[in-house]
Amino acid sequence: MHSILAVDDSASMRQMVSFTLKSAGYNVVEAVDGQDAWEKAGGRSFDLVLTDQNMPRMDGISLTKKLRENPQFKATPILILTTESSDQMKMAGRSAGATGWLVKPFDPNKLLEVIKKVIR
Amino acid sequence: MAEMNTDNSQSAGIDLSQFYQVFFEEAGENLDNMERLLLGLDITQADDEELNAIFRCAHSIKGGAATFGFSDVAELTHQMETLLDKLRRHELAPNASMVDVLLASGDALKAQLARHQGNGGDAIDTTDLLANVRALVAGQAPTAVAAAPAVVAQVAAAAPAKGKRLVELRVGPLSNLAQADELRDLFKEIEGLGTIEDLPSFPDQANTRRFKLETASAESDLLDLFTFHVSREEVVFLPWSEGGVQVDPDKGLFEGGAAAAHEEPGYGFFDNAPGAPLSGVASASSASAEVVQASSAAAKPAAKADKPAAGGLESSTIRVSVEKVDQLINLVGELVITQAMLAQNSRGLDPVLYQQLVSGLTDLDRNTRDLQEAVMSIRMIPMSTVFSRFPRMLRDLANKLGKKVELVMQGESTELDKGLVEKITDPLTHLVRNSCDHGVEMPADRLARGKPEVGTITLAASHQGGSIVIEVRDDGRGLNREKLISKAREKGIDAPDTMSDSDCWNLIFAPGFSTADEVTDVSGRGVGMDVVKRNITSLGGTVEIDSAEGYGMRVSVRLPLTLAIMDGMSVGVGEEVYILPLSSVVESFQVNEEMVKTIGGSGRVVEVREEYMPVIELEKVFGVPRFDWEHTSGIMVVVEAEGGRVALLVDELLGQQQVVVKNLESNYRKVNDVSGATIMGDGRVALILDVGSLVRRSRH
Repeated sequence: MHSILAVDDSASMRQMVSFTLKSAGYNVVEAVDGQDAWEKAGGRSFDLVLTDQNMPRMDGISLTKKLRENPQFKATPILILTTESSDQMKMAGRSAGATGWLVKPFDPNKLLEVIKKVIR
Repeated sequence: MAEMNTDNSQSAGIDLSQFYQVFFEEAGENLDNMERLLLGLDITQADDEELNAIFRCAHSIKGGAATFGFSDVAELTHQMETLLDKLRRHELAPNASMVDVLLASGDALKAQLARHQGNGGDAIDTTDLLANVRALVAGQAPTAVAAAPAVVAQVAAAAPAKGKRLVELRVGPLSNLAQADELRDLFKEIEGLGTIEDLPSFPDQANTRRFKLETASAESDLLDLFTFHVSREEVVFLPWSEGGVQVDPDKGLFEGGAAAAHEEPGYGFFDNAPGAPLSGVASASSASAEVVQASSAAAKPAAKADKPAAGGLESSTIRVSVEKVDQLINLVGELVITQAMLAQNSRGLDPVLYQQLVSGLTDLDRNTRDLQEAVMSIRMIPMSTVFSRFPRMLRDLANKLGKKVELVMQGESTELDKGLVEKITDPLTHLVRNSCDHGVEMPADRLARGKPEVGTITLAASHQGGSIVIEVRDDGRGLNREKLISKAREKGIDAPDTMSDSDCWNLIFAPGFSTADEVTDVSGRGVGMDVVKRNITSLGGTVEIDSAEGYGMRVSVRLPLTLAIMDGMSVGVGEEVYILPLSSVVESFQVNEEMVKTIGGSGRVVEVREEYMPVIELEKVFGVPRFDWEHTSGIMVVVEAEGGRVALLVDELLGQQQVVVKNLESNYRKVNDVSGATIMGDGRVALILDVGSLVRRSRH
């Protein structure tokens, strides 16, 4: 079963994402912000990291950077969920090593559609 | 807003409404946080971290609201976020009117959320608020414009201030396509609104008219105008896309502007990024094809959702319904009773013969107590949940009264049972208002008295023994002894000049007592303090006042930590055992016939230190015969409640113990003079007496 690390500081978003993924048969680990995700990422591997951008303590871009420094996450798809799809954000995401982005708000279908593209 | 896809509560077979409750709670917390941060914000040197935190609150609410389809909430938070974003990027400097408008927006959001939660209320008109936030974003002062009728003028006036942009407008489905022509006329009539051009309709949507707008007005303002002619639901604004390609309206609210000018499926991958699919950015045709594929694929796993996914859920907190916690507390209560029974029954056992059993029971005793404490702590919430409402309240109140007040809060992390926290909120609110209204003087008066211009109100909570003590202190004018006494006499209350200070201060708890020279609409007409005292007493608490004229006053509220366990004194009357709340017991003594006198055939009084007190014979109240037929002797327990004292005549004092309070009303029915029941160590049921009710009985 594929494991996904879902990072969002909003409990409702986390629940929605987590429920959607679990319903589709994925294994989900939730984290409440970048720092929490970083701690939970240690010592295990994931098939995908879905992270919110704007969070307390550590944001999605910084999390992406940190994960990419770790050999275990070198090739793991990392998607940033963001409300802004500005070029600036995209540049920051790209240079941090993110795989791609998904614009919020999205509906569960869209999320699964995107995930199917990166997890095979 | 109309372009929001509001019908998304059923997606991929997933019912989004199941997340609403969590969203509401989270949004509520975010709003409280935002308010607290805004009130604490020093606008002369705003802290970046604080501004970021405020931004995140709005941002988080917006994200959830947009996802779950609460478009009005999303729209307002979107505007707030725009303003807050400029603040945290230092593109704008914070000022007082921004704080005011943001606070007002927070209030509007609370009302909107309450409406979505089904608490009723009219639709919230945020036209002015939105206009004010936008004005602030544009670097202008907020102008509270009048609502609907002024909209036309407002739109026209606001127009030249900002740059124009292109928007695609879709109106439909319409039964009469000519309706949309009215919109075109609007652009002719109102100067500054912009230009409107016809666009060809899509063949499959013949009932929908399309227009190209060039305008500087906000979509919500346009929408308000358009609704004179077409209904809100028929209007959709889309970011302008050059080729006139159909843009997916699902992309929602936040993609306007240049970034969205070329078509995007709402996501994308970076070329050659780790883990990216080979095809790179999804092309338009494959994206739409795969939507169909994805949704049909998603439908299958969703059907399997009954089998719980073995996925680990890791989170630092969980939300549990209060019901479940209460059930747990109830069960632990039963366990405590069982344990007490075992302890009592094993008391006679020979500790040498039954060494293992006795040590097992000792462990059980300790573990039960620890378990009970741990379970009770689940219901404990910090006082900050009550305190957090006061900064805002005081700010508004002080503004209204023209006073300057600073609020200091101490011990906000002190924990108290959830039920008590809810019940103490109103009395505390009253006390804080009183301090601001009657305590703290006007700034000029304070300066004249050599005090700092800004008054201080302190809210402090702390644990003292098994209770929590909450203090409301102010450095205002304090209580005036002479004024209180003369006022009391006016009201026909016995108030000798020799009375002690504390008795004198307690006069303000008398019903209908008010010392304010003028009745204000803030603290009301002095009907409050007696209600405050009664509410606190009904929670098993006490109130004390301390004051020094000219220096301020302090009200201390002492409450038990929980309503589920109580310190009680057990007394025996005949075969029965009754529990008195220890907090209301004053003293007990042996009586003889000479001390008791019958008055007017209606009742008896007992003389204690030259003071007469009504006697209540519990045997008569509950119809249980006493052992002592002749009534020659007995024990009296003096109890106090609601400002009165009575002496209860009982057969024996059995001891003091903690009792687990059981609700009699929900298990049996309401019984007069009884507030609850408990199960004793020997398995018998004992009634817990309602002292307040007994005192009232003696007054009749």
